[in-house]
Amino acid sequence: MSLDYVKFTPGFGKFMPKEYRDMVEHGPFGKKTSVSQVGTFKEILEEHPMCAGCAMTLFIRLAIIAFPNPEDTITVGTAGCGRLAISQAAIPFVYGNYGDQNGVASGLTRGLRLRFGDKPKDVVVMAGDGGMADIGFAQTLHSWFRKEKFTTIMLDNEVYGNTGGQESGMTNKNQVLKMAPLGKKFEKMDMLGMAKVAGCAYVATVVPNNPRRVESVIKKAVLVAREIGPSYIQAYTSCNIEYAIPTDKVMEDAKTVETDRYKFSEYITDEAKEYLSQLYGYKEYLPKPAAAVEKK
Amino acid sequence: MYLVANIDTEICAATSCKLCTQYCPEANTILYDNAAGEDKGFKYGAAYVAVDRCKGCAQCVWVCDNMAKHNAIKMEMIDQIGDTALTENVTYGEKTSTAILANPVRGQM
Repeated sequence: MSLDYVKFTPGFGKFMPKEYRDMVEHGPFGKKTSVSQVGTFKEILEEHPMCAGCAMTLFIRLAIIAFPNPEDTITVGTAGCGRLAISQAAIPFVYGNYGDQNGVASGLTRGLRLRFGDKPKDVVVMAGDGGMADIGFAQTLHSWFRKEKFTTIMLDNEVYGNTGGQESGMTNKNQVLKMAPLGKKFEKMDMLGMAKVAGCAYVATVVPNNPRRVESVIKKAVLVAREIGPSYIQAYTSCNIEYAIPTDKVMEDAKTVETDRYKFSEYITDEAKEYLSQLYGYKEYLPKPAAAVEKK
Repeated sequence: MYLVANIDTEICAATSCKLCTQYCPEANTILYDNAAGEDKGFKYGAAYVAVDRCKGCAQCVWVCDNMAKHNAIKMEMIDQIGDTALTENVTYGEKTSTAILANPVRGQM
């Protein structure tokens, strides 16, 4: 994996589709791009078959823009809506069998470390709430307990959106869905609490109605996973089909849910704070001067 | 026919907030031209829509009306917006992109 894998074989450039040529010549590979510059460079994500107005797509788009080194990143996914978009990006995508994504990512991370040594190669798992909290629950938790160094992102739409609206572990209690007509009987699973108990070095919740925050959270999570330990991001990405949200009201819903029950939260270990401040210049994690601490 | 987003360049160039570019769920759809509106004295450019990628969700309309409060984006029928940007006519440059406007409905000149 290097910048070369996206380039054309000499002489073949003119036969390539316009989108591919734009991506090689004006894409974010090898450059520093940010969410605020979006629209002025060719994005890695391409056309995808996700529903119009899907908040999950918006989150995936922002996440891919936020990867610190897209040319050195591999995404891992599983069955569910998310993989329809993640696989349409110009970075390698590995499809784990349903629920296997964190197991696959564990092996991949170890293999890349053996092959490339200290050169950072980022593995990012992006899967839905069903793949992560229900079917792949054991593998997800085990990868965290084993301190596998990769980022896990849950695209939490609180329903099995791809198969007609069954309840998942992350659905809220009493929620009635097309395939859960009596309402869900138990509480939403506390995956954040479990991530902390299992030893994740960075845990955050985020809603895509704040693109800059999504960018910052993804960057930190990927950087922490390079050296310190597993990182976990739980993102509320509503399903406008199963929850019947009009497409133009998706962001209104995201805002309501964020204020109501999905507030931004960030947990970071001291070791990760020190690492981010010393290696990547995150000033907010610098230790406070002794004088300032005494005044308090 | 179907609806696509259409951005009023003059209203957009007056504020250049770029919010809609960050909230569109489709990649490479709402693009940004730093030189748009220069002829009318605006300095910071405006956003435009590559209509062949637009799925018509109107999320950008909500963002422009309610978050930015600029009311620059409207949903319009594709055969009634006139010449507009299409992916095949977009050229990327150094931190900007420009589009040659063309008729979006195939078979019509």
